[in-house]
Amino acid sequence: MNANTESGASAGGPGESPSVPIHLRPAREADVPALVPLLLRLKRLNEEFDPLLRVRDDADQQARQILKADIANPKAVVLAAEGVGADKDKVVGFVRALVRERPFYAPEHEGVILDIYLLPLYRRRGVGEYVLRETSNALRSKGAGVVTAEFPAQNEIASRFYTKRGFRPITAVQARSL
Amino acid sequence: MAQSSPSPIDADRGGRRKARTAAERSEDQTDLLGERSLELSRYFAGKVETVPKVPVRSLADFALWYTPGVAAVSRAIQADPELSFDLTGRWNTIAIVTDGSRVLGLGDIGPRAALPVMEGKALLFKFLGGVDAIPIPIQAKSPDQFIATVEALAPAFGGINLEDIASPKCFGILEELQKRLPIPVWHDDQLGTAAATVAGLLNALELTNRSIREVRTVLLGAGAANLVTARLLLTLGLPAHQLTLVDQKGILHGEREDLDELELRNPWKYRIALKTNGGGRTGDLRAALEGADVLLAASTPNPDTIRPEHVRAMAKDPIVFALANPVPEIWPDVARSAGAAVVATGRSDFPNQVNNSLIFPAVFRGVLDARARSIPDEVVLAAARELAHGAAIKGLTAHHLLPTMEEPEVFPLIAAAVGDTAVRLGIARRKLSHDEFLERATTLMGRSAKLVRALARARLTPPMPRAPGRKRRSR
Repeated sequence: MNANTESGASAGGPGESPSVPIHLRPAREADVPALVPLLLRLKRLNEEFDPLLRVRDDADQQARQILKADIANPKAVVLAAEGVGADKDKVVGFVRALVRERPFYAPEHEGVILDIYLLPLYRRRGVGEYVLRETSNALRSKGAGVVTAEFPAQNEIASRFYTKRGFRPITAVQARSL
Repeated sequence: MAQSSPSPIDADRGGRRKARTAAERSEDQTDLLGERSLELSRYFAGKVETVPKVPVRSLADFALWYTPGVAAVSRAIQADPELSFDLTGRWNTIAIVTDGSRVLGLGDIGPRAALPVMEGKALLFKFLGGVDAIPIPIQAKSPDQFIATVEALAPAFGGINLEDIASPKCFGILEELQKRLPIPVWHDDQLGTAAATVAGLLNALELTNRSIREVRTVLLGAGAANLVTARLLLTLGLPAHQLTLVDQKGILHGEREDLDELELRNPWKYRIALKTNGGGRTGDLRAALEGADVLLAASTPNPDTIRPEHVRAMAKDPIVFALANPVPEIWPDVARSAGAAVVATGRSDFPNQVNNSLIFPAVFRGVLDARARSIPDEVVLAAARELAHGAAIKGLTAHHLLPTMEEPEVFPLIAAAVGDTAVRLGIARRKLSHDEFLERATTLMGRSAKLVRALARARLTPPMPRAPGRKRRSR
C-alpha cells in the first residue's frame, strides 16, 4: 500500500540509461528472506502517516507468507531490484503488484501497485521511473488495462511521485476506528 | 551552545578531580546568575527601549519628524521603495523573531517566555554590532503561519534574525524566508554557531598541519548547528566520503532503519545521510571515530558523552571540539590527557570558546552596511575565515584558536569581509570599498558602548542595584 521511490526520480531520464544503479528481475522464492525486511521498512514508514496503519506484531510472518504466495501467483507481479557493480546480487528494493478484476468498469482488469520500496541509497537517478515502467509492462502483459497505486493518503512524497507521472486520484478510501 | 557564560568562572584546568569541581561550581554559578537575573529583570523591567535619534528643539519639530512634513518622505518611498533604506531607520534595523519552540536548553516554552531571551539578544546586537534589533516573539500555530507573519513584517526591516526555533522546522522556515524576502535572513542557531565552529576548525587544521581535503571528520549531533557545519565543510572542500555524522542512534548512514522517516520529517538530515560516511561505516560513536582526525560535537551537555577511549581511537593529534553548553561532552583536560592536540568548548572559562557572539553582530553589521539582499553561504564562510584570521595574526596556539570577546578589534574586520563578499556576489544594494565598510563598522560598533556609558553617566539608566546579601558558600 505504498510507494517510496523518491520524488526526484524524473531527473534521471530513460530507465535503460546506464546511470540507473539497479536492475529489476522477477523475484524468486529464494529472495523472500531479503524482501521481508524491505517490506517491513515500508510498512513501518506507513505508521508515520496514521495510527490506523500501526504495524502488527506478526507482520514479519505475514510478509513472508504473502511474498511467497504472490511470487507463485500468476496474477501477481513481484520484482526484485538488485544493485549493479559491487552491489550486484544484493537485493536493494522490490515491487509487488496484483492484477484485479473490475466487474463494473472498463478496462476490466487493473494492475494495482501495492508496495514499492527501494533503499534510500538506490533512489533518484531515474530509478523510480524505471521501476514504474517495468512494473507497468509486466502488469500489461498479464492483461491489465489500467495501472493504479495504493499508498497512505498522507504520503505526499508518493502522491507527488505518481502525479508527476500522469496518475490522478480515482477512488478514495476513508477510515475510522470501530 | 549559543550562549557564552556572562562572566568567566574560576575553573581550574588541572586534574580531572578539579575539573569536576569546576562543573559543580559552574552549576552553583548558573543558579546564582539566574537569581540575580530575575531580580534585575524585576528592577529594570526589560533590557532595551527605543530612543529618538534626532534633535527635538521644540514641539514645532514634530511637524518635520511627523505629519505634515513626513508625508513627503512617504511619497518618496512610495515612488521608489528602495528609498526606505535611505530615508528611514530600516537600513540598521532587524527583527529577532522566534516561536519559542526551542529556547536555550529550556525547550518549547512559548513566545512569551522567550521574550527575555530575545531582549537579551537585542541588547547584544546593539552593544556589539550597533544594530537596532527588535525582539518579536510570535504566537504561531504552524511553520506556514510563522513564515507568513515574518514575511508581513519584513517591510520594516533590513534583516531578520531567527532565534530559538526547533530543529528540523527551523531549516524549512529559514529556507522559505530566504527565498521570499529581499533582505538577509539568518538563523543564529544554525549559521552563527556553524560559522564559529568552522572558524575554529580552520585554525585547528592549520595548527596541526592538516588540509581540509584530507581529514576524516566526525560530527556528533545532527541538529541545527551541525547540519549546517556539515554543509559548510563540504563547501570548503571536505570530501563527503570523509565526513561521518553521528546522532543518538549512532552513525548516520544510507541504510539506517529510520531513513524513510527522516526523508519525510527532516529531508536536510536525510540528504546528508545519503551523501556522507564513505565506506559505509555503521555502529556507534566509537566506530565512527576509528582513525578520525576531527571530532566536532554539538550534542547534549554531558561530560561522559565523549570518553577518553573515544579520543584515543582517533588519529594522532586529533582535534576535539566539545561544544555542548553549559557542560561540554568531555572536559578539556580529559580530552587532552587522552591525546587531543587541540580542544575547544562553548564556554568562556576554558580556552578556545566557540561562541556565536563572535559572529552574529559582525555579520549583521556587514550585511546591513551593504544593504544586502540575502546572505548566502559564501558570506557566512567569509565571516568564518575572517574570524579565524583574527586569531591567526596574533599567533595560533593550542590555547588561542579563536579571538575572545575581549578582542573586539576583529569584529569590524569581519563586518568588512562580509560587506566585501556581498559586493562581490552582486547582492549589495550599496557597494562600499573595503575601507569604507571597515570605517563604518568601527564607528557604528563603537558607538553603542559610548551610548550606554553616556546614558549611565547622565543617570538616565539607573545604576546596577546592589545584589542583596549573598549567602557565603562554605565549600
